[in-house]
Amino acid sequence: MATLGQRSDVGEFRRRYRWLVLFIFSIFSLFVVRLFLMQVVHGDIHEAQARRNIIGETRLATTRGVIRDAQGKVLASNRPSYNVYVVPKQLDFEKTWPLVVGYMKLDQQSAKDIEAKVRELALNQRRAEQQALIRVDVDRDIMATLETHRDELLGVRVLPAPVRAYPYGELGAHMLGYMREVDAEILAERPEGGYRAGDRLGAVGVERRWESYLKGQRGFRRFIMKKTRSERIEDLEDRYLGEGHLQEPAPGRDISLTVDIELEKSAEQAMRGHLAGAVVIVDVRTGRVLAALSKPSFNPNVVSGGSGKAAVQEAFNRYFSDPLKPTLDRTISAAYPPGSTYKPFTALSGLEAGLIQPEGEVDCRGGWEYGKRYFRCTGVHRGVNLHEAIVQSCNSYFYELGTRIQIDQLAELGSRYGFGAGTGVGVNPEARGRMPTRAWYTRRYKGAFRGGFTLLAAIGQGATTVNVLQLALAYGALANGGTLYRPQVVRSIETSDGTVVQDFPPRVRRMVEVDQPKLDMVRAAMVDVVLDKKGTAHAGRIEGVDLAGKTGTAQVSQLAPRGSDQASVEYFNRDHAWFAGFAPAQSPEIAVIVLVEHGGGGGKNAVPVAMRIVRDWQRMKAERLNRTASPDAKKEKAGSN
Amino acid sequence: MARFMSAARGAPHIDMPLLLVVVVLSAMGVVNLYSATSAYVGDTSGHGALAGIYVTQIYWIVVGLLLAMLVAAIDYRHFERLAPILYIGGLLMLCSVFVLATDVRGSSRWIRLGTFTFQPSEFMKPLIVLMVARHIQNDAKVEERTLVDLATPLFFTAVPVVLVMLQPDLGTSLIYLMSTLTMLAITRIRTGSIIWGAALSTGASLLMWNFGMKDYQKARITCFIDPLKDKQGTGWHAFQAQTAIGNGGLTGEGFMQGTQNQFRFLPDQHSDFPFAVFAEEFGFLGCVGLILLYGFLSIWAVHIASQAKDRFGAALAIGSGAVIFWHAVFNLGMSMGVLPVVGVTLPLFSYGGSSLVTMLFCLGLLMSVSMRRSG
Repeated sequence: MATLGQRSDVGEFRRRYRWLVLFIFSIFSLFVVRLFLMQVVHGDIHEAQARRNIIGETRLATTRGVIRDAQGKVLASNRPSYNVYVVPKQLDFEKTWPLVVGYMKLDQQSAKDIEAKVRELALNQRRAEQQALIRVDVDRDIMATLETHRDELLGVRVLPAPVRAYPYGELGAHMLGYMREVDAEILAERPEGGYRAGDRLGAVGVERRWESYLKGQRGFRRFIMKKTRSERIEDLEDRYLGEGHLQEPAPGRDISLTVDIELEKSAEQAMRGHLAGAVVIVDVRTGRVLAALSKPSFNPNVVSGGSGKAAVQEAFNRYFSDPLKPTLDRTISAAYPPGSTYKPFTALSGLEAGLIQPEGEVDCRGGWEYGKRYFRCTGVHRGVNLHEAIVQSCNSYFYELGTRIQIDQLAELGSRYGFGAGTGVGVNPEARGRMPTRAWYTRRYKGAFRGGFTLLAAIGQGATTVNVLQLALAYGALANGGTLYRPQVVRSIETSDGTVVQDFPPRVRRMVEVDQPKLDMVRAAMVDVVLDKKGTAHAGRIEGVDLAGKTGTAQVSQLAPRGSDQASVEYFNRDHAWFAGFAPAQSPEIAVIVLVEHGGGGGKNAVPVAMRIVRDWQRMKAERLNRTASPDAKKEKAGSN
Repeated sequence: MARFMSAARGAPHIDMPLLLVVVVLSAMGVVNLYSATSAYVGDTSGHGALAGIYVTQIYWIVVGLLLAMLVAAIDYRHFERLAPILYIGGLLMLCSVFVLATDVRGSSRWIRLGTFTFQPSEFMKPLIVLMVARHIQNDAKVEERTLVDLATPLFFTAVPVVLVMLQPDLGTSLIYLMSTLTMLAITRIRTGSIIWGAALSTGASLLMWNFGMKDYQKARITCFIDPLKDKQGTGWHAFQAQTAIGNGGLTGEGFMQGTQNQFRFLPDQHSDFPFAVFAEEFGFLGCVGLILLYGFLSIWAVHIASQAKDRFGAALAIGSGAVIFWHAVFNLGMSMGVLPVVGVTLPLFSYGGSSLVTMLFCLGLLMSVSMRRSG
């Protein structure tokens, strides 16, 4: 060839070709390895991602279980809340807006405020197209009007959102609880709970304790996100969704409480006129809580978000700045000095230790001198035996006992009746109260135990504190002959169609070892507290009300010494008024505890409350007996079942 | 064709393996394009036009093959003389872009000519190869080359690189640079010069990064380094392409059954990510087959070079092969997520007249060298 031998020395390149081939080979080999990793080794990860791309999921809402009282009355249920939204971009301020204001019956000021807000949103590019909430929970009439005029109201929408409804409002709110929005912590730490941002869960009380039963299980429906080309959506679903693309939601369980809302209502009415306090009624034969009222209360409808977030905020601000602490559950979460209502237990301690004889008398001269201190009595009772000491609530008698008994003996008997330990009610945090012992005092006062502490403990003062529910169960044990029950709030759990899933029988916490004649002796004294003319509850009794018990006036502050005029003392220094009792006096069925916080004297303030409640209870009991006895009611009941 | 050839020059024989691979790849490319755009049949949201582009692709393959036949028929040594003229013409076209260009996504690469548009930067690729091959042919230096010796071919490359970076088009300038370097790699270069060259280019890259590159180009590279940082933004393309490839598994989802493609999760599936479509449909086994074809093509180019009877032919074969090879490497690499997304087409698979014609032109040059080999 002519070109050969010119300047074409291709030999120079020869040695490098093999390196090029090697280079090409390695690069493509690396690609093959990479593909192997992506497609074969990690293929499932990518496939899952590809499926996520095309498969959407709609959540199917579930309904929260209903809470009912012992008589089947609904205490907590669900209702739709109608919220009004506008899309700022679509809203015609000249034509549509005045109509909206008219239909919604907005007053001038709020109409102006909302309009200003919406106009501002309309200026924002992104948010102008998103619907903005302008009114929460409008009533049904407004909702209906807006829906009727839907066609004229472009850019206005009414959307329902489920909210929790408590028909009895503030009544028994502490025990029932309320709903709050799930917080980030729960979302992060309990993913198995199945909560999503914006969900609501039970905050306190039964709503919180039984959350897992009430909430139900949300369902889902999976679907192919976009339809492409001519392929039938059914074929795509078959191919990519397969089985299990639909899970029906499971509604939450319904819960029946042991509480009787009518009795609770009667307690609330009886407590009118008092600022703060608590009433607990338990069935002494089962430990079931029939009523648990804590006053003042809060509105669970508002704080559960039914009226919007602003209302929740506003309500909590109000509750938390209230010195009466409306959110505090006074039946369980607070401990108080029991005062004289503790005397029956002191008496039992003395009898058991053999330190007092029922007939032995103590001369009350209006107080007891012990060491350098003088311990005051409520009056001058002169010679009193055990019966009279309880009936007239004589402190001196118990001071005298206090000089001879060991404080640990008092504490030991108290703890047998459940004081100083949690009751195990389960709803709301418990204030366990305190049965002070010598060891406790030694720790507290750095080794200086003084005998005076025992004197105070003997009359339920000093460091002794109890919570109202504890006292109710302990009185229940006095009433039923020594059986201390666990308090029970939930009677049974049912499915939404009424089938009972779980029924809770009463649970005995302990059988208190007690000598029956001694117990009878104390009980007889408590009957006379009401019946005897000298009894501390005699003045407050209502004719026909069969109630026995013990009054109590617990000193709160040194600034209001025993016997001082309560009206002249500042509210928060006034004594607590107590009445603890059981009814009927013979063969008791219920234990009633009334605490009027800073109410003053127990006989004057707490007894009438208890009397009224027991009167209502007797009336209700009679009515219910009649109803079940009459044939009409029987037929009705059979029909409804 | 064979008869036409033999009539023209003695008895040159057609390189059948090369022809076969090219025909197979083109056919696969069209079929893949048909599937890639099938999701847009009946689309009314403005992408409906994509549905028919596989037909256009066939037209361009025909045009490209005719051009390749013509190139193959011409003795490649004529291109040695034509190289400077073609090169200067190419540069002028590149410059004209700045005057006539229409903007596509922030970069002006396209020139509109009547009803169709074309990309001068694509055509420039073989022209640079010709120019550098001509330099290698004329540079008969026997000793090891130094940086000074390499300055001329690098200058031939640098001019279009700068012009293209101004458009700006990172991918194309990388192709220019890499094919030139591949051609120079077969010549003897002093080791010290290689080290110097590496150091200088590192410095140049840093300068480019700080002063020459647009933000979106930087973003592509940073998101390649840390793709999960921005799964919804710049990393979206790469992430969805990788999902598609991985979704293919061992044997693939089946022709027209890739969900990533059918549900339009692949961006630019017809131009930048046809491999993702292919990989999803045919799986690992299909991909290995495709890589074998590109591997064969690249190695065959080296084989042709080794058979060439002069330095120009050898350098030309290496250069043409390098254009194909680097296109394949960049495109596959970015689809698989091992290289940043630089917008380089997959030879014979990606949609685009300019790209197709350029690739087939290079293959024509390869064929021309192969048909006139020694021995």
